[in-house]
This record gives sequence, C-alpha cells and structure tokens, in this order.
Amino acid sequence: MGLPADVETTGATPLEILIQRARELLPEEGVITDRARLRTYECDGLAHYRVTPALVVIPETAEQLAGIVRCCAEQQIPYVARGSGTGLSGGSLPHAEGVLVVTSRLRAIKEVRRDDQRAVVEPGVINLDVTRASTPDGYYYAPDPSSQQVCSIGGNVAENSGGAHCLKYGFTTNHVLAAEFVTAEGEQVRLGGDAPDSPGYDLLGAVVGSEGTLGIVTEVTVRLVRLPEKVVTLLVGFDSTDRAGAAVSAIIAAGIVPAAIEMMDALAIEAAEAAVACNYPDGAGAVLVIELDGPATEVDAEYADVVRLCEETGAFELRTAQTPEERVLIWKGRKSAFAAVGRISPDYIVQDGVIPRTALPEVLRAIADLSERSGVRVANVFHAGDGNLHPLVLFDDAVPGAGEAAEAVSRGILDLCLQHGGSITGEHGVGADKAAHMPKMYAAEDLDTMQLIRCAFDPDRISNPGKVFPTPRLCGERPGRRQGAHPLQEAGVAEVF
Amino acid sequence: MSESLAGRAASEASVARPTWSVAGVRPGRTERPTNTAEVAQIMRDAAAAGESVIPTGAGTKLDWGNPPTSADVLLDLSALDGVREHAAGDLIATVGAGTPLSRLKEHVATAGQRLALDETIAGATVGGTLAANTSGPLRMLAGTMRDLLIGVTIVRADGVVAKAGGKVVKNVAGYDVGKLLVGSMGTLAVVTEATFRLHPVPQTRRWVTVAARDASHAAELARAVLHSQTVPAALEVDATGDGIEVAVLVEGRPEGVAGRTAVLSGLLPGATVDEEPPESWGRYPWADMSSTHLGIKVTFRLSGLADVIEAAGELGLRGSAGAGVAYVAMPADQDLTEIQARLTRLREAALRHGGSAVVLDAPTSVKPQLDLWGPVPGLELMRRVKDEFDPDHRLSPGRFVGGI
Amino acid sequence: MTDMDIRQMGAFDEHHPPDSDLLGDCVHCGFCLPTCPTYVLWGEEMDSPRGRLYLMKEGLEGEPMSDSMVQHWDSCLGCMSCVTACPSGVRYDTLIEQTRAQVERNHRRTPKEKALRALIFSIFPHPKRLRAMRGPLKLLQRTGLDRRLRSTGLLDRMAPHLAAMERLAPTITDADPLPELMPAVGERRASVGMLTGCVQGAFFPGVNAATARVLAAEGCDVVIPPSQGCCGALSVHNGREEEAQTYARRIIDTFEDAGVDHIVINAAGCGSTLKDYARLLADDPAYAAKAEAFEAKVRDIAEILDELGPVAERHPLDLTIAYHDACHLAHAQGVRSQPRALLRGIPGVELREIAEGEICCGSAGIYNILNPEPARELGERKARNIVATGAEVLVTANPGCLLQVASSIAAQGHRLGMAHLVEVLDASISGSSPEELRTRTI
Repeated sequence: MGLPADVETTGATPLEILIQRARELLPEEGVITDRARLRTYECDGLAHYRVTPALVVIPETAEQLAGIVRCCAEQQIPYVARGSGTGLSGGSLPHAEGVLVVTSRLRAIKEVRRDDQRAVVEPGVINLDVTRASTPDGYYYAPDPSSQQVCSIGGNVAENSGGAHCLKYGFTTNHVLAAEFVTAEGEQVRLGGDAPDSPGYDLLGAVVGSEGTLGIVTEVTVRLVRLPEKVVTLLVGFDSTDRAGAAVSAIIAAGIVPAAIEMMDALAIEAAEAAVACNYPDGAGAVLVIELDGPATEVDAEYADVVRLCEETGAFELRTAQTPEERVLIWKGRKSAFAAVGRISPDYIVQDGVIPRTALPEVLRAIADLSERSGVRVANVFHAGDGNLHPLVLFDDAVPGAGEAAEAVSRGILDLCLQHGGSITGEHGVGADKAAHMPKMYAAEDLDTMQLIRCAFDPDRISNPGKVFPTPRLCGERPGRRQGAHPLQEAGVAEVF
Repeated sequence: MSESLAGRAASEASVARPTWSVAGVRPGRTERPTNTAEVAQIMRDAAAAGESVIPTGAGTKLDWGNPPTSADVLLDLSALDGVREHAAGDLIATVGAGTPLSRLKEHVATAGQRLALDETIAGATVGGTLAANTSGPLRMLAGTMRDLLIGVTIVRADGVVAKAGGKVVKNVAGYDVGKLLVGSMGTLAVVTEATFRLHPVPQTRRWVTVAARDASHAAELARAVLHSQTVPAALEVDATGDGIEVAVLVEGRPEGVAGRTAVLSGLLPGATVDEEPPESWGRYPWADMSSTHLGIKVTFRLSGLADVIEAAGELGLRGSAGAGVAYVAMPADQDLTEIQARLTRLREAALRHGGSAVVLDAPTSVKPQLDLWGPVPGLELMRRVKDEFDPDHRLSPGRFVGGI
Repeated sequence: MTDMDIRQMGAFDEHHPPDSDLLGDCVHCGFCLPTCPTYVLWGEEMDSPRGRLYLMKEGLEGEPMSDSMVQHWDSCLGCMSCVTACPSGVRYDTLIEQTRAQVERNHRRTPKEKALRALIFSIFPHPKRLRAMRGPLKLLQRTGLDRRLRSTGLLDRMAPHLAAMERLAPTITDADPLPELMPAVGERRASVGMLTGCVQGAFFPGVNAATARVLAAEGCDVVIPPSQGCCGALSVHNGREEEAQTYARRIIDTFEDAGVDHIVINAAGCGSTLKDYARLLADDPAYAAKAEAFEAKVRDIAEILDELGPVAERHPLDLTIAYHDACHLAHAQGVRSQPRALLRGIPGVELREIAEGEICCGSAGIYNILNPEPARELGERKARNIVATGAEVLVTANPGCLLQVASSIAAQGHRLGMAHLVEVLDASISGSSPEELRTRTI
C-alpha cells in the first residue's frame, strides 16, 4: 500500500496527514493533540505500562471511525482501540507513533428487542447499562465482569470478558450474535447475524477475544437472558481452603451448576474486612460465596443439596441471603477484594491464571510453598467453579527488590497453571503484559497458526500491534513454503515442547 | 415412542461403508490414518504433490455442500477414534476426531455427564459434527459445537500440527482458532482431536407438548414459554401436513421439573406431559423420507417464527423455536423452477428476519442450479482466511461458501 | 522527584500542591467514570475524575499548568459522586480543592472570566445582597451592576436561575424572623445550634423555619445566632482558599459560645464544607483545634433527626415522593439512607427512586452560572429521570438542586411539587394537608 501522492508534494508527515483527515472527519473536540490531554490516555487499568499516543480520536459515528482507520491504513499508522480503559493486561496501551481510537462516544443502546431476546448497542455502551436497559422487560445481559459498571461492550468483545457468573452462563463469545466491524483497511463489514449460525466461517468467533488486533467493532448485537425467578446467595465458612475446595468438588459432582462459586482465602478475607467490614465468618480459613439462580422450585431443590454438601465437607458457618440487600452484603466483600488488598499492602500484582478445577488444592499448596520460600505474601481470590485463580501478590515498592521478588512469584504462579494444563489468562487477556508468556503456553506452530488469522485480517499489522503475540513472522511469508526450523525458534523467541 | 437417538446411532455406525463419493465426485484414493502424526505425513505428502484432500469421518454428510472442484485424496479419519481423556471432575473430555458422537456420549454417561449436543445424524463422528456444525433441540440450553469446544488439535494444509485452546473451560490466551473451524466444512484444516466441556446429566427430563391452531398461534405459545420462568432446555416446533406441534423440554431436579411442568401446562392449555420425547425430536424432517429431497436449514429472529412457518407452507418445518433455527425438507422430484421459487420464498422470509436459508443437502442433479447459501456477509474476509490457511486451495476445494 | 524539581518545572507551587500520596491511592481502575457528570456528557478521559487526577499527576511530574489542564479541572462540578464510587478510597474531594487553590494562584484567567468570578463572589456569599436579588432587576438598577453584568454575559446565564428564585419565593409565605432560641417541645433531648445558610436563608426562609420547628418538636433546644454570614462553601469549591478561611473563622466564633451539642445545617453544600473545617484551617495555629472540635459537632438535619429517632407524632401524608440525592449530601457526606428512612417513617408516603440517581443535576454551587451549557444538559437529563418516576412531589435537601431542577422540569412542561425534606416532616408533624406540598410548583 503506497503513500498517497500528496505526501511527496506537500511534505507533510503521515501523522500530519492523519491529523488533518481527523479534523475534517470529526468534531473539534474529537481530535486530541494537546500533550497534557494525550497523557491522560497513556495507560488503561494496568497503570504501570504507559505510552503517550501520538494522537487520540473520539469518533461519534461508525463512519468517522472507519474513515480514521482507512487513513491509518493508507498512511501505515498503527492504531489502538480503547473503550473505558479498564483492561488489566494493557490491551489498550497506546502506540507511541500511533493513534488511539476511543469508543466512549459511541454509546447508543440502539434497540432492546424483548421478543427476539436481543439488544443492539454501540461499543462504548457500558456493560451494566445493557442490563439496566433490559431489566424493565425482565431480561439482562449475562456476562458480568467485576468492572461491569464501567467497562464497555466493545472492550468486552475484544477481551472475551467473563465474570463471576460465566460458570453457568458462559462468556462474551457465547452472548454476541453479530457485529458491525471495521477491518484494518477501514472497510465496514457485518459479521454474524441476528439469527444464529450465519453462513460461512465464524469470523465473529475469531474476532471476539482477539484484543483489538483484528479490527474494531462499531455495533454489537447481544443475546439477552431472562432474569431468574429466584436467586439465593450463600456465604459459607470453612477452616481451610482444602475443605472449601472439597465442597466445590462435591457440588459439581452432584450435578449442580451454580450461577457462581467464588472462594477467598484467609488473607483475602482479612483485606476485605479491613476495607468494607463485610463481617465474614470469624476465623475462617476460606469462604465460599455460592449463588444459585433459576426457577424457584429448581433453586429450592438445589439449595437443599448445596447446604447438605457444605455441611458434609466441614462448613462451620453458613449464611443465606434471601433479599437483594442481604445479597449485596455478601457480594460486597468478594467484589471489593482487589481494591481492598490496598489496605493491607502498599502495592500488589493481580494475577489471572486458570487451572483444571480439580487441581485446585494442589496448586493452592504450591502457591503457599512459593510464598513461604520467597517471603512474598499471596492472597487468593478466585472463581472456584471454573478454576480461574486471581492470586494477589503483595509487596512494598519502597523496599528495594520487593517488586522484583513479587514479579518472580507472580510468574511462578503462571508456571504452576501451565504445569497443570491450564492457561495464562482466564479473563484479563494477554495484552502487553503477557505476550512474552505466550510461547510457554503454545508451541511455535500454534502461534504461527494464530498468525494466519492475523494476516488474513490485518496483513500490515497496524491494528493494535505489539499485543498478544511475541514478535510474529511477517505476513508475506506463506505457510507450507517454509523449510527448516520455525523463524521464532531460530530467533530463540519460541521453543517447541 | 421412538427408540433413543444413541441406540439408533450405535446400530448404524457398524454398517459397512459404501463406496464414497463427495457430492457426486469420486475421490482418487482413500487414506485412513490412525493418529495425528500419520495425518501430518499424509498432508505433507499431499502438499508436495499438490494433491487436494477431503477429510471425512463417518461420511454421513459427504453429500453436503458443493461438489469439490478436485478430490485427489479422501482422508478417512474414522480410525482416529477413542476417548483420550475424560476428566470427570473438571467436566471435560478429549476425543479423537473420528470418534462417533454416540460413543463419546456413552463414555461420559458412565460418570453422569453428557456432551449437551444432539446427534442429529446417526453415526456421525465428532469431527464431522464439528466441521458441519450440526445441532438439535438442546442448542437452546447449551449452544452448539462452537460453545462446547474448548480445544482442538489440527493438521494444516501444509502438514504442520498445531493446537488451539486447551483443557480448561476458561481461557482467553490468543485467538479462538476452534471457532473458525466449526462449520468450516473441512476447508481450513484437518481436526484430529477435540476437547469439550461437558454438562451433568439432569436427574429428570419432561416433554410438554401441545398442538397449535396455526403459525401465529404456535408463535404465540412459543413466546409465552420464552418469557416464562421455566428455563426450557429446548423449545421445538414441528409443522407438518397434520398440524403444528409445540414441544418444550424441561430438565433438572425432580421437584424443580415438577414445578416447571405445572407452570408450562398452564401456559399451554391442553398440553400433555411425557417422560419420552415426541417421535420427531431432534430428527431432520427429511430423515424419514424415501424420495429424494433437499434439506434446508432456515434461521431467523425469534419473532420471525410465524412468518417462517408460513413461508414453508405445505413443506412443513421442524426445529428450535427457542433458538431461531429450523429445517425444511423439499421434494426434489419437481420442476427446477419450482424448487428455485420455493427456496427463494423461504430465503426471503429468513432474510426478512435477520437469518438465512442454506441448502445443506440436495441431489447432485439439482445442486449446480442452486445458490446453496444465499448472501454471505463478510465473504471477502472469509476468502482471505482461506488463502492464509490453505493458499493452494487443496482442502475440500470448492465445497464451501463462495466456492471456497 | 524533589520539591525543588516540582517548583521549577511543575504546575504547582509549594503551598499544598495536590498530595502525591493521596494521588498514589488511585489504581486507575476507572470505576469513577460512569458516575462523573462531565464524563457522562462528553465521554472524555480528561473530563473524568481519573483523568483529572492524572492531570494533577502530570503537574507533579513536571508538566506546566496549561490552559487545557485548567479547563478540565474547572469543568468538575465537585459533586463527589466519584468519591462514593471509588473502591480504593481516593480522596478526590481533597485533591480537587488543593488543585483549585493552586489554579487560582498560578493560572492567568482572561479578564472576562475574572470579572464573572468576581461578580459572583461579590453576591452569593452575602445573604443580604442575595436577599436583595429577590427583586433582581431592582438590584441591578440600584447597584449599577447591570452594564458590567451584561458585558460578562452573567445576566443571561443567571436569568433562568433568578427567574426560578423569583417564582419560587412568593409561594413560600415569608416566615417571621427566627428567634434566637426556640425551646424544645416536651422533654429536652439535645441542644443544637442552627446554621441558616446564604441561599437557604434568602430564598427559602420557610425551610429554616420548618427546620427549627421540627428540631424543637423532636426535643431540641434550637439556638439560632443572628448574622452568621457565609460558611465559605462556594469559596472552597472554587479555590478561593483565603476567603473561605475567613468565613470559617467567623462561623466558628459565632457558635463557640453557644454551648450546643450539635451544629445543624439543612443545606448539603454548606454541610460538606462545615465538616471539612479542620483541614481548611489546619495551618492556622489559633484555629486548628477549634475547627476540629467544631467539625465533630456538625450534623445534617437528616443525620441528627435519624440519630435522635422520632418522638413527635407523624400524621399521614398521602403523597408519592421522588427523593433526589444532593451530591454534597449523598457523596460528600455519605448521607443517603437517613433522609429515605425519615420519609418512609411518614404514614402514607410512597417513596420512588430516580434513575441515574448518582449523577449530579448540574447545579453544583455556581457551576451552572460558570458552565451553563453542561449544566443545562445535566439539568434536562435529571428532570427527565425525575418526571419518569411519576411522583407528585420532588424532595431534596439542597437549595441549589431545587432551583436547578425546577427550571429544567418547568422547561419540559411538567408540574411537580417541590419541597425540602424538613418541610415534608414539618407538614406531617403539624398535621397539615399534603395538598400544599403537592401544589408548590414552579
């Protein structure tokens, strides 16, 4: 793709041309070049990675957004999409020579169609607002990342966001039916459809969770789920994580799929108590928050079984919320856990790894060993039902070497996840933070196969470059015509195992 | 009452293989590898020789799609069978692609678990079901292959073996390659192994069935069920010459199911409650026809049900009113223009309701005269994906949308 | 970074720059974004609390104080909704006040901006001048301010505000001047001092009278010192630190000898400032301790009534009420449940919640005069949500909110009764008809 002729004639740089185009396309306040303002966009929810973008644009229509991307493609300028900027893997970390495309003004809820169980929204719409808009009709949007009151649907699509209730209801990818999509060339394409099983390849399935590396969605059609008739939330105290883990296993083995099963260990409970006085059971070595939802008669039947199973596995205290207020109280401790850790430690790393659920007791013991050997404290909060761990690695940055020690423990936990056949991320994404870990989880051939998708969608690699993958091969290089070792292997970037 | 799907599958899976053709095209030769490494070797050899390869499992859907433009090698994956791993406590199972779906189901059933996906064609393998993305009534509860698949091992056109996803249900590391393969009709890569999430087998199942007066009444009943608090596992409609039937499946604990069937009986006056499914449950409407036919899959917004039933007219229609996916059998022994007109009518109704009408299967004499898929949004991007995965177009060439 | 660096290259001088420890509490999670009125309107990072904090951080890291920075700090309504939403406990309220004081000292405003601000501060904190503005045109003519006013555009901006005041004021019968002491009815349970406020005193004398009556009915000796002056809220919120300190000292002096258990305020904006006197006067050795003691006694009217518990009989009021959370009550003081509990305690009252309740109505002190456009948009948004409740009466606890919302509701062609919480309680205790509240429309 060559540069347009006016570059040679006017001598304007590609960035200058883009800025000029942006000013033509967008209202004045949608083009940000002022340094102080640009800097407010230099990081997302993972604040220790910071890059000041060269330009920020805030389009108000899909056409404006596509126009910007088209110009980026012409000028070969990298672009990065950003929604609410709450990601925890640096997925929307800007590119220093690139433009940050912010979707926060694309925030219309275009339709809520009860009889179709669908809502059509723009990418800047906040997750919880979809539910708020559907609740009067008796419906809601099921994926509920813990940042749901602020994170955007566009960001959810990019990250394939989960949440406490995805154990029963699935992830973003299971709830997105269609999207208007802007390709890396700036073309507007419809992916998927209002009805299921759109003909052809499931391109939308590839786009969801691609962390903005394939393009940008400008409209999303989501599935709405009927609000449950009854919700029961239990808070159960155990003297150890082993016992709590046994209760989780027993519940799953009994054929119950709760809406959520969350676990917190003693240190996490201590933090939550310090922050929000959630009044969790005294002396608990672990608590479970278990939520059952569905038809009232079904929930009642499951509830009786869950109570019995918890008692059989050694629960010493069990509380049940029957009203929304009591439910909020139980969830308060769990939901505040991340921020609450700030009350017991000046600094901390939130890790996100996945293990097969049955490996839970073993992995928790290994994390405890790791913590003991290194002297770095680790608080554990996790989605126990699906083995998604969120260890909080505590440290004090003022102590020399503490940050490095914490990083080492944090990496060690990911290694444990991989040793048990798990994943380096269950919901926060790879982003800028874990790209270097990808070759540990995937062989060079696996990563190379993913690059085929990247090359199909974005051959020039201008859409969120540098994220998700360690340095990949160039797109021109055809698979099947390559001889000898994989270039990643040769470069020492990847190993095969 | 019908015999169970699993039982029927088991009896038919052992039937001797016919001489296979792929939508009327005879393959040059057949290879029957027994493991992934052998598949890789075959694919490397084919790449070196520039040969086209058509993967297949039990061969139950080889007639689906367009006739391939070339079929040098039929890659019979039925020997890649067997359950490799069933981690009951983690509710996952890994199987060879050639494993019959029924065998996987029998295996995990011993631990009180199931793959929540209907076997709509007896004898179908896991790999074939994945490639064709078939599904039945349970899709309302658990979705389709795309929602149950958590990891795959593939052999690419160039013979490279790669994995995607993994063995944990929750995993957002890297692209979801598996989703692209679901429904790709063997045009992107050869799947040799797949890992699925499983669900517990419900303690109790009940079918609540009622006759509807007409299409709009059926839609009205379906809407009442959808907006109710009964959380159906399936909501089916079956329109035939004999009338229209609406059937709801509820699953769960005995007390829970009892309460929900009571509610449903109130919503659907005159309904009967059964412990066994209606005879037509999970069967394509053309499955029992003796004459030649076209098999058409129609998708639509939930609110489009009445309109789609009416568009199907005397052909009838069967499928999920809860998901917006139904199937129509159309006799092939009629004038081509009549076939085209009827297909157009169905397709227009489907498009009006945000869906599509795809001809899954048709006699080879008719197929070339038909647009099997109708409009395919995003086709250019799909071609680019194909070009990356299979630059020489040797994998099932021409079988899929837009001649992919 | 050392202090020397900050002085030489940053945005701030060394007199209380935004506290870097407090800034460090922000983990950049973004939970404040959807609660911020300007972010809701514009969707821009720099017009969100997280963005404004980031601009402060930039200033501490060496970026000079630019016009753009000031613009974004200025556009903060100070509603403190973000303080409520923050899971990490970031003291945004303290940080924005520290920053605004820095802006007033270190940023050159245009002559037009300066004139506008000077005028506002020559009128609002002065109860007498405000009272005179109940006949605004008369005031303008008499003081000869009209030409200056027009040149700043203040008249246009204040017009809806003044019009609302004008229309509202006559419907409230001019209460008799309040006595200096109103004795408790029945058994005396507490002795309280009452602040009369500027806008409240001038435009809603009925609210002050009702406050005194309800407190007395609930067993309080009510001490009401005459000529109290302004509490300094508007000055604090707009970075006029010294002016605010002067007002604060006078208020403390006024109540020092009253010997009361509590100091009660019925205006949310004043209350949040009164509760922050200790920090405001922390550097003043003569007043630091007094300010702390004063602060500990301050209660919003809803807080004190909730603390004491009801003794006076509530007569039924057959009313549907939408309760609007004033930002300076709900967010700055955390008083949310008490007013609702008090309203629910009245037989016959049906309470309705307003959608987007945490979002500011756009009044925000004098914000609606300085930033009329966003204030109008927020007012309209709030009015729509209030009307949607279908309630007969709107109840809130801040005069600014009432004025702002009243004009937006009227502009949308709706009629709704308007009352302060304490007026509803007064009506119930005195057994008067709900009709009077229902028809108190603007």
